[in-house]
Amino acid sequence: MGAVEASLLELAKLLPRFEDIVELLENEVEARYILRRAADHFAKRQAIDQLNRPEEEEISYLIHALVDKNWERIHSGHFSSVPLTIRKIYALGCYFKQIFFLLLENPSLEQRELCGTVLDEAQLLGCTEELYEKCTELKHALMQYLDERATSNNSLPLPILAAVERRASRCDIPQLEAPSILEFRTSCYQALQPTLLLNTINHWPALSKWRDLNYLLKVAGNRTVPIEIGSNYASDEWSQQLVKLRVFLHRQFGPSNGRADHEIEYLAQHELFAQIPALKADICVPDYCTVSSNNAAGVDIKAWLGPSHTISPMHYDPKHNLLCQVFGCKSIILASPEDTANLYAHESEFLNNTSQIDAAKPDFERFPLLRRVRFYELLLQPGDCLYLPPKWWHYVRSETPSFSVSFWWE
Amino acid sequence: MRQLLFTGFNAFGQHNGSNTDRISGRVTALTEISVPGHDAGNAIIALSWRYTAYAVGTKLWLRGLFNLVPGECLEVEAPASIKALAACDSHCLVLLQNGELYKLPAKMNATLQHIKLETTPTTSAATKRTIFGTPKLARDASHDITHIACGTHINVAISANNAVYSIPSCLHQFPQRQWRVQQLECGHEHALLLNGNGDVYSWGNGLRGQLGHETLAVVETPLLLEALAGIKITHIAAGGWHSVAISAFGDLYTWGLNCKGQLGVRVMKPDGLLKEPTVYPLPQLHDLPDCCGVENDACAPLKVFAGSRHTLLLRSCGRLWASGWCAHGQLGTQPTKLEYLDIFQAVRDTPKGNNYTVFCGPWSSLIALSRNRTVRARMPKFSLYLPYVMKMHVEKKVQLRPKVISALNRYTHTCIEHGRLLICQMPAGASAHQARTNEVVQGYAAHCGLRTRR
Repeated sequence: MGAVEASLLELAKLLPRFEDIVELLENEVEARYILRRAADHFAKRQAIDQLNRPEEEEISYLIHALVDKNWERIHSGHFSSVPLTIRKIYALGCYFKQIFFLLLENPSLEQRELCGTVLDEAQLLGCTEELYEKCTELKHALMQYLDERATSNNSLPLPILAAVERRASRCDIPQLEAPSILEFRTSCYQALQPTLLLNTINHWPALSKWRDLNYLLKVAGNRTVPIEIGSNYASDEWSQQLVKLRVFLHRQFGPSNGRADHEIEYLAQHELFAQIPALKADICVPDYCTVSSNNAAGVDIKAWLGPSHTISPMHYDPKHNLLCQVFGCKSIILASPEDTANLYAHESEFLNNTSQIDAAKPDFERFPLLRRVRFYELLLQPGDCLYLPPKWWHYVRSETPSFSVSFWWE
Repeated sequence: MRQLLFTGFNAFGQHNGSNTDRISGRVTALTEISVPGHDAGNAIIALSWRYTAYAVGTKLWLRGLFNLVPGECLEVEAPASIKALAACDSHCLVLLQNGELYKLPAKMNATLQHIKLETTPTTSAATKRTIFGTPKLARDASHDITHIACGTHINVAISANNAVYSIPSCLHQFPQRQWRVQQLECGHEHALLLNGNGDVYSWGNGLRGQLGHETLAVVETPLLLEALAGIKITHIAAGGWHSVAISAFGDLYTWGLNCKGQLGVRVMKPDGLLKEPTVYPLPQLHDLPDCCGVENDACAPLKVFAGSRHTLLLRSCGRLWASGWCAHGQLGTQPTKLEYLDIFQAVRDTPKGNNYTVFCGPWSSLIALSRNRTVRARMPKFSLYLPYVMKMHVEKKVQLRPKVISALNRYTHTCIEHGRLLICQMPAGASAHQARTNEVVQGYAAHCGLRTRR
């Protein structure tokens, strides 16, 4: 075996010692056995700098098995009821797995990319918060190490989307020009009144930066993100995939995407900003979200990025929602919770918050109760936010390539 | 002593080599292993991810990782002879011959804990009679357990009077008469039940399509699998998040999650990528690859077995076919370095003949060769009334053993020449008893891989 890169050994130093994680593993016999061997192995390796290759391979396999097993545990039962310990063990396992992989396989560029995928999985499925003292440092160092050595991007540059002038449009709900917190609280939040808040996020760096898709590519291109394929999540043809953001951007916005057989893909409802801190720096949580608790920690921030014609069918969410438009326009149709009984929700467990109707073209023959429903239409434009109280029905369709950020809070 | 061949995940020393040597943590070819105890020839075996359980008589061994190091062994003695085991990571369910149910936590120094099941509301149960018409002893059969199964999120038991328990509470009561449990299997979070009629019921978490119902949902109590109703199913298996069944017509069905090719259904998108996500809520009928020659009836599916993310199919000719995840060696020797097979392929180096059974661990497969070399014809028990008179033709000649011939001659109007069953037909007005017997013939024919016609 050739000399291991010094930088890799530096990375390994950021892995936890067994004492750092022993508390987490108290009732986890297998994880304790495997992670103890892995942590001790690296401690020994640092100390005497000599290599026992068969042992290293054996421990690497154990870590591989630990990651696979905890993947299965995370996928059993509802994700929300998976104990945090399991997701933490999964993340720890992923970190060790990558270091072993880089050490043992002397990897090619392609394999390094695979390694980056493991890092993303740790982030997407696992819990990477407060594992041990140096865990954040390790995460960032690994990300940097892999990004620096990632395939150089020789493909054609992505477009820079033009800034568009605000256009006059129909709006069936009240509009407020950047209201004060007090005004927002009384006329929107407490009144449970859907409202279009104009020019409220104009100060976000995101508004000028993200239109240049090459910027997104540079900052986040190597991260793996879940995308939805097919224009509408309630249709049978719909599916999900994990892909590199780079691949998604090129497929949907790249110069070669004029092909007619192209499927619409949507990066929807994804916690992109926890995964990519650089993008988080371009936005800020609007003060409106802290109107109830003064606590920004309880706010779920989700990204919605896609080409034109992505559709979220008529559905509702259980929380307060502030949908902020960074670039592009979205047509939105709303209906009040009072009309729930007239909106023909799907019966299945997955879709019982989703209506069977096409709000853009209501079929009154098939769904006669729809005649009773009052629909509200509006157009969401860059710099604007839509406030939606809990349980309000909404149908969202992008009219152009679009990037929105939503904030959900209780 | 019968031979045991193992392949798959063994990182916790669950299995030792046949000379009690430690074998590798990942076994990637069928390897002979040994069993604890001296007379382990007919050991009952159940595999969980972290340990393997063996029982012989009243003795029970669990071997794996329980505290600190691989290869730890728990040894306990049950109050009566052990009839069946079901293993999951946290505990092992132990069913005794006397119908009592115990559980052994998978921890050092653990002891057997008696499981007290919730009492079912007393029903005005009619007197049970034996086939000879004598009444059976009046005994509360609701706590007399006959079948057990468990997964990481599910524990199921079924009593002699067909009460279904989600241990320890009673979930459902099936008819107490003329209804018999044939097989009970559990995945990580769902259960499958096959009754003597060939109907499949499923319940539990169906969000990955594992229940076979059209809608993805959690189903609290056993629900008839409509998609297979009317097709006589003969054997079933429950994988982690998938399910498998074979029919008396020799067809194979799979449904549920296909993330590692465990359904053996290869579905490509136009651009050549595997379709994701990979959930098939309804049973998929398979067009199996030819086995020993083209369309050979002797290669009909006989039994199915499933692990967390792999599936094994035993065909009547004795060849074992596999699909699904193989990263931990669960499918034995693989010609390629692929992480999974997404279509059924023959397993290498399996024993000759079909005189073996298979146990799937979550990430492993274990083949147990029968002690004797001949294949025993399994005669179904006389417990089905057929409400109609059945005409049955066996389409193909088949070699029968003398014992079977004499049994058939005694009960049915059959024409048997030189040990070959040519035709067997029920006369009009045959008694229910005769009809039941004909069921036996049909069962036998199905067992021989013959297609029968009503």
